[in-house]
Amino acid sequence: MSTEPSRPRGLGVERQHRDVNVARFATSHELNRMGQDREPNEDATDLDLIARWKAGDERAATALVERHAPALARFAASLGERADVEEVVQDTFVRAFASIESFRADSALRTWLFTIERRLILDRRRSERRRRSDASLDEADAATEFDALDGMVAEEAEARVVGVVQRLSRLQREVFLLRVNEGLSYKQIAEIVGSTEGAARVHYHNAVRAVKELLYV
Amino acid sequence: MSDCANVDMRELLPDFAGGTLDAQTHARVEAHVASCADCASELETLRLVRRAFANAPSIDVQRIVAALPQPSAVPAADSRSRPSVRRWTDWRIAAALTMITVGGLSVAVTQRMRLSNSVDSSLVQQRPESVVTPTSVPPAVRGSGATTTQPAIPPQSQAVHPVRAEKAQLSFGGGVDGLDRAAIEALMGALDEIDRAPVAPSVEPDRAPLLPVITEGRR
Repeated sequence: MSTEPSRPRGLGVERQHRDVNVARFATSHELNRMGQDREPNEDATDLDLIARWKAGDERAATALVERHAPALARFAASLGERADVEEVVQDTFVRAFASIESFRADSALRTWLFTIERRLILDRRRSERRRRSDASLDEADAATEFDALDGMVAEEAEARVVGVVQRLSRLQREVFLLRVNEGLSYKQIAEIVGSTEGAARVHYHNAVRAVKELLYV
Repeated sequence: MSDCANVDMRELLPDFAGGTLDAQTHARVEAHVASCADCASELETLRLVRRAFANAPSIDVQRIVAALPQPSAVPAADSRSRPSVRRWTDWRIAAALTMITVGGLSVAVTQRMRLSNSVDSSLVQQRPESVVTPTSVPPAVRGSGATTTQPAIPPQSQAVHPVRAEKAQLSFGGGVDGLDRAAIEALMGALDEIDRAPVAPSVEPDRAPLLPVITEGRR
């Protein structure tokens, strides 16, 4: 992430990770296959791509998925989704595209996608909780919830950070990760978690304080 | 471990760690972090978090694209939003009509019960003292002879106190507040006469029940 070039704020989060995301998630074969299509899509806005998809251009849908899937996958994994990250991301896109007409252009597409994904994850957790009839599922799962990340965290310090973040409350964790990992503003975060800008700010600073205490005290 | 007092600078640390600041702001934060141990420590924590969560499971983009609905299958905006608004509006109208109906019925029932209680209590309270005299009956009701509901009244029954007569016109049962003992005895005698008198067949059913109720109360 630190390799990303500096960009002025306000360009839209959907553009901030574009280069890195495409490179990370597309194989060389896919890049070669989509090479000539990628250039025009680079400068296209989300609204342009949506309009092109509605006109029947499937490459626009591909560009949108490439642009936003990595962030969605990262967010799902950071919230403790285990082996179902890809399924969550796919369901998010399917649901979003099925109701694309309800997308309001006054918010970023990525913010809207995060909102849908978060609801999906919460619904899946509720369903799982009902299925297992286990009221203490959160505590029981706490030890294994981040198993999917364990294999990906190389260093001990980073593994420790994952453990610390997992001890935050759900809302604190969501706000903290959206702010730190995705670089979203408090306004966007509030929209995603269904809170207020001020509350999101408080959750973030409480989370930072808790993480620092758990890591260094 | 403490927090830097410069809240504005701390707010920029996540963006600084993500490299999304413009050059001028980036340089300003960089200079601050170089001289602030708290912010330097916090920045290092944020970078650690970003590294820990940077790697997400790989995603098969083409599989996701293949699962997407076709654009033609997505309902148009008009057909999606308007029914939603109409459903909401219809729901509000239905709720308003229900509230008005229930409210109206409640008021009607309440008023009816109150009126009923008022009449009953009036009759119960005044029954021992109530009396209907010829003067308390409106002229239109009195009529003449056998076509009226009122039996023939002996002459002594006319010795009712004037105040009593006025009250009788103002209320169902009238009142005997202004009567002295002699007047009351005369009144009782008149009522006995009424009891003994044959009751003419009623042509006005609405007025008929009053008489039995009053005479029953007197007994």
